[in-house]
Amino acid sequence: MFSEQAAPTAQGLLAPPSAKAPTFPRVPVSGYLDCSQPFQLGERSFSWQYAHIYAVRLAGMRPGLERCARRRWGNDIALRKLSELQAGEKCCVVGTLFKAMQLQPSILQEISEEHNLVPQPPLPKYIQPSDKLILEDELQRIKLEGAIDVQRLVTGTILAVYGSEQDDGRFLVEDHCFADLPPPLPWNGPSSNRFVLLASGLGLGSVSGEALLSTQLLVDVVTGQLGAEGEQSCAAHITRVILAGNLLSQNTQSRDTINKAKYLTKKTQAASVEAVKMLDEILLQLCTSVPVDVMPGEFDPTNYTLPQQPLHRCMLPLASAYATLRLVTNPYQANLDGVRFLGTSGQNISDIFKYSSMDDYLEILEWTLLAGHISPTAPDTLGCYPFYKSDPFILTECPHVYFCGNAPHFQSKLLQGKEGQRVLLVTVPDFSATQTACLVNLHDLTCQPITFSGFGADSE
Amino acid sequence: MSQPRRITDSFPRRLRRRGPGRPPGRLKDKKDKDKVQVKVQDSSCSPSQPAPDPALLEMLRRFDLSWEYGPCTGITRLQRWERAQELGLSPPSSIRDALLEHRDNPDVTYRWVWDGMV
Repeated sequence: MFSEQAAPTAQGLLAPPSAKAPTFPRVPVSGYLDCSQPFQLGERSFSWQYAHIYAVRLAGMRPGLERCARRRWGNDIALRKLSELQAGEKCCVVGTLFKAMQLQPSILQEISEEHNLVPQPPLPKYIQPSDKLILEDELQRIKLEGAIDVQRLVTGTILAVYGSEQDDGRFLVEDHCFADLPPPLPWNGPSSNRFVLLASGLGLGSVSGEALLSTQLLVDVVTGQLGAEGEQSCAAHITRVILAGNLLSQNTQSRDTINKAKYLTKKTQAASVEAVKMLDEILLQLCTSVPVDVMPGEFDPTNYTLPQQPLHRCMLPLASAYATLRLVTNPYQANLDGVRFLGTSGQNISDIFKYSSMDDYLEILEWTLLAGHISPTAPDTLGCYPFYKSDPFILTECPHVYFCGNAPHFQSKLLQGKEGQRVLLVTVPDFSATQTACLVNLHDLTCQPITFSGFGADSE
Repeated sequence: MSQPRRITDSFPRRLRRRGPGRPPGRLKDKKDKDKVQVKVQDSSCSPSQPAPDPALLEMLRRFDLSWEYGPCTGITRLQRWERAQELGLSPPSSIRDALLEHRDNPDVTYRWVWDGMV
């Protein structure tokens, strides 16, 4: 536990000051390797169509799925393409899933003038009992029915179904399987307790400043300016801070100034300017003391499509002077002290939440790991860069820590795989709403929340 | 003054020569103009590079339309060949040799189009 890291000779705050103030050096950074090269886009061209990314996804995941299918249903099952199906023959087909949803927001419906329809308001979930599942491979598509949970699955998943084609042309599914956990990475974790702080959703620039006190408390704890020597020696074991997205609040995204008259908006500046200045000051305090990795999120000033590129260092002039600040992509992958971290700022999980019946963020996180893909809904309902050569969101190696930011609550789970994989799944809560951050212990892959609350007028 | 002096008289406009590896997106807009330009260059250096024969173009067209290697629109044939190679689909290497041999000819490097539209 984090609080057990206190040095045994630490004195409390009420002790008289000692002649020589004790110092607690922060544990040194022993191994850091940034592995997010697949998510860094150099020169971007949007001339390619999205058919390429789906084709590459299917071609890339097909061998792994065929192996899984053989392991599960026997080595002698027939693997067929949709064009080779014969009615009544039990076989296995690998393909991409498409869920036809009636409520799915469609730009064509919105601009269809003859219907005079008001655009559909954003709903929390777009699922309906009448949704249908369709399996597509390179050439054909077929409707699926049977032992497959239509509500739970989302478009873009690659899976293998086992069953037979019926006379009416539909495929009756008896069983289905996903790509399962990717192969494990060797474990080179640290021998002593080292902690990484995961926080997301700082939400700077919001109208209410309630979370600012908690943010300042967080910074003070990490930099060792809070508490007595006991807490300071604990904080010295934090080797890194990862801020997983949504550093700015959603309020900074308001574009009312576009609709107003020019003379009214002459002197106003975007709310994000002030918020980024605040972010710079907070990061400056953190960077002087601990390495910080900053991932962009949904409301941050970077591109909208996944993978989001790092924030530009010109926005953070004070903090970029320090080498401890690393501006990284979303999704982010890195080796910290031999432990492989992989995580996103939560857009992939919340998008699956909207189009699936799964309600628990941790359950969705686990499901994406078992499906072998970080964000299967990517070009369909979540903006994605049109890759043509390879799909970087396919999971090829199993990370040791897999996190997603901006979840409604903190949850964590240690997942054990059949081939010896050990993954710590962490849903990092939204700091502006819950004032909770997470501390991950790299030594034994445990995680605990740390909550900062100030006593306000309305607290009990 | 016979005609008004223009700034381009003192700074003559020089059209930049297009290299062989330009991204296909830009080329799509100015494809016809570029084709005309490159064809002019081709005829000037035609003795060194023989024009591709129709059998070669037919083989490349069949490579484009074979579904195993994924969609063919918007990328050069060489990019598609290399992508298929990396995915382990083992495309025939004779196609690659042909593409590299005629890499200056846009009829060979890009997908066969009809009426200039992709």
